[in-house]
Amino acid sequence: MTWYLVRRIGQAIAVVIGVMILTFILVHLEPGSTAKAVLGLKATPARIALFDNTYGLNRPLPVQFWLYCVHVVHGNFGISYVAGQPVSTLIAQRLPRDAVLLGLSTLVALIIGVPMGLYQAIHHGTVRDDVIAGTWFTFYSAPDFMEALLLIAIFSVHFHWFQPAFPGGITSVGGIFADPSALVLPVVVLAINSVAGFSQYMRSSAIEELAQDYIRTARAKGLGERLILTRHLLRNALLPIVTILGLSLPDIVAGAVIAEAIFNFPGMGLLFWQSALAHDFPVMLGATLIIGIATVVGNLAADVTYGVLDPRIRHAVA
Amino acid sequence: MRRTHRLVVAAGGLALATLMAACAAGHSPTISNGSSQPTGQKEKGGTVTIAEVAASPNDIFPLLPATNSNGYNGDLTLGLWPPLVYSGDGGQSVVNPQESLFSKLTYSDNDTVITIVLKPWKWSDGAPITSRDFLFVYNLLKANYNDWFDYVQGLFPVDVKQVQTPNSHTVVLDLTRSYNPEFYTDNVLATLALLPQHAWDKTSASGKVGNYDETTAGAKKVWSFLQAQGTQESTFATNPLWKVVDGPWQLATFQSSGYYAWVPNKNYSGPDKPIISKAIWTPYTTDTAEMDVLRSGTSLDVGLVPLNDVRQIPALEAEGYSVGEVPAPGVAEILPNLWNNKVGPLLRNLYIRQAMEYLINRKEIVQKAFAGYADPGNGPVPTVYGQQWDSPLEKAGGPYQYNPAKAIALLKSHGWKVVPNGTDTCVHPGTGAGECGPGVPAGFPLQLQLLYGSGTAAFDQQNAAFQSSEAQGGIKITLKAEPFNTLVSTTGTCNEKSHPAAICYDWQLEQYGYNEYLMDPSGAGQFNTDANGNYGGYSSTEMNNLIDATEYGASSQAFFKYEDYAAEQLPLLWLPNEEAVFVYKKNLAGVTPLNPFSGLLNPEVWYYTKPAS
Repeated sequence: MTWYLVRRIGQAIAVVIGVMILTFILVHLEPGSTAKAVLGLKATPARIALFDNTYGLNRPLPVQFWLYCVHVVHGNFGISYVAGQPVSTLIAQRLPRDAVLLGLSTLVALIIGVPMGLYQAIHHGTVRDDVIAGTWFTFYSAPDFMEALLLIAIFSVHFHWFQPAFPGGITSVGGIFADPSALVLPVVVLAINSVAGFSQYMRSSAIEELAQDYIRTARAKGLGERLILTRHLLRNALLPIVTILGLSLPDIVAGAVIAEAIFNFPGMGLLFWQSALAHDFPVMLGATLIIGIATVVGNLAADVTYGVLDPRIRHAVA
Repeated sequence: MRRTHRLVVAAGGLALATLMAACAAGHSPTISNGSSQPTGQKEKGGTVTIAEVAASPNDIFPLLPATNSNGYNGDLTLGLWPPLVYSGDGGQSVVNPQESLFSKLTYSDNDTVITIVLKPWKWSDGAPITSRDFLFVYNLLKANYNDWFDYVQGLFPVDVKQVQTPNSHTVVLDLTRSYNPEFYTDNVLATLALLPQHAWDKTSASGKVGNYDETTAGAKKVWSFLQAQGTQESTFATNPLWKVVDGPWQLATFQSSGYYAWVPNKNYSGPDKPIISKAIWTPYTTDTAEMDVLRSGTSLDVGLVPLNDVRQIPALEAEGYSVGEVPAPGVAEILPNLWNNKVGPLLRNLYIRQAMEYLINRKEIVQKAFAGYADPGNGPVPTVYGQQWDSPLEKAGGPYQYNPAKAIALLKSHGWKVVPNGTDTCVHPGTGAGECGPGVPAGFPLQLQLLYGSGTAAFDQQNAAFQSSEAQGGIKITLKAEPFNTLVSTTGTCNEKSHPAAICYDWQLEQYGYNEYLMDPSGAGQFNTDANGNYGGYSSTEMNNLIDATEYGASSQAFFKYEDYAAEQLPLLWLPNEEAVFVYKKNLAGVTPLNPFSGLLNPEVWYYTKPAS
């Protein structure tokens, strides 16, 4: 297991370095002048030269890459051209908030999706199974911006039950909870799409497990149905969910542009989108790197957890 | 909202210019710019929450560095350090003498000497505002003008031979040449804030205040120190430097998200002492989020109605809001690239630009794309806000009102085979009368590409209308929308010197929003040869002379001469320019008239009302 871990961590580091190189090249392939994108149409040649000099954009690309690596090693990713703040500060402001919001919605989706998938598996092939699957797939198919605007129109504008957006100026994780009524709609919108995925993976996995010999044996031994479901079926059927959760980590880190835009939640998604529009290279590179790291960490965590949950995998690797 | 940079352009959805709806047609009769105010008793105190979309100020030092183009910094600082010359009075394009820091401003010696007498006002710490404070600003800028965002080549401070301060309230500026006093007051002095020398003339946080600014080296050190302090967002509201203000407000709270709060400067010497007890500026990621909050009628007192949502105004009124509008101080246009390697020769022919302008149905664009809320765009000067600047020609609709028949006749008379809804071709090449003009070969098709900033529905509609109406004269327009920053970064100034440069191959016609004006809608910097804002490379000796006459001379007729010449010569194709529509709570008075020159919103004159008992 130790060797397996070392090997996987080594692969992860190589992938992160690859992500750094690739994104650096891609970002610098973007056409146009960065200085002009930031300073505007009437930027004079002198001002463009000053900008390029200030941010090292007039230096050869390998030198710029080296400086970027130095910044990364020092943990600040450089200075945002637009915000004028260290990229690490911008990310540190947004990432924890995104993690809380998206983590919360993932938790809600799990709490609904897993039991629902289990319920559907037990009743698979019945009308109840079809109705539940149909309902969630309808939500799943609908664009999240439409769901968001619909919910706001009903619950905020018409009934005035929930706030339609987070209050401006949230700077801390605690700020998210300052007005709980503002939290309801974004969590619901973000959870809706995940519920369908979790429940269907759970359903398929549980149906497969229900046909296994060990379930039949447990029943033959006279174990109660509840015990069979919770002790035997659930643990084994959860394996695909673990994989999905691991792969969800980059999504949580990357933020949710649409939800952030509609619910006034300045997170990683909007940060990345706006930096791409503004040619804010340090922010783009920083955000991409963080997402890349989250992807490899998520995969690694899923693999390791898989091994913990299913010893056969651990032994096979060893 | 408050935008102080003189070079700001509209950027689809994120700026002041993100204004009105594209969908609704017709002008709401309930919108006004000041005629109606809530009735009831004036109430002292209260908090006003103002929405700002995608606004994140990031520098509090009022003299921004050259590399910082964030116009929202002006929103943050204008109420703390207002300019020496306060622009706009009751929404009018005039200097506001009550709010300005000077009591007397005189030009002498053939307009080469300016004498400024300062009012006996005080800084918030009780120290008097003196001529030394002006000298401090001058010294800082003289040593650092290349790193000052608002520096315009050749103007302040390099056009000043010397500054004298004969007494503590008088400043005498000795200029290198004579200027039109109106131009210099409106467009130069109105960009200068006074800074507290007695508190800011230092080179480190723990250092003592001195007269460091009196040497170039010292001024550079002070500048570096203040610039560095100005970017420390976490200390904006606590740094003792920024506590010394001369405006009606002090900063009480600032968060890096762009959320900040003003509280009254209790020692403010000016006439409009704040009546409300707090003004909160709260950021929204998008105008969709802002509109949802306005529609829910809960936490916002003042907000901008975005371009696409004017039709929701009745719903907002039902939620307890009043509505006000204000023209954007600028001029909108389509830029023709006169030095594009392919169509430059074509566009350099005035009759082509005239035919194109005749085919623009500006009145229809005002109604269909801007729901009635736009300046008609008859020429280089907005006709809505700047009445005193409008020549009779512009007031009458400009030289090229929509007339497809005239456009077609013009093209035919210059050797073109006109194919309405098709593509015209040149059939009589040459430079003589009745021929297509220099650089246009036989069979040359009259087709052009228009690049524009994506993401604003009103621009989509406007440019689709442009494409459609140009087709009536057989001018084939293809549209290409790109994100605003991509547009800015991939296109550039093209003129005789730069041609043929690669960047000049990439654009033929471009539309990106509008050019913002200060109070004097001068053509300087836009239409004179090689001017920084003259992207399309228009060049005319007569235009240069006419612009110089408005900038350097004092003739009252010079401006109209320049204006009419520019309107006729079409260095740009004129378009309607959008207005700003705001909503504010019905019991909030003083919001209108909105002042387009002081950032639109002036909470120092706002107050809540309660029903008369």
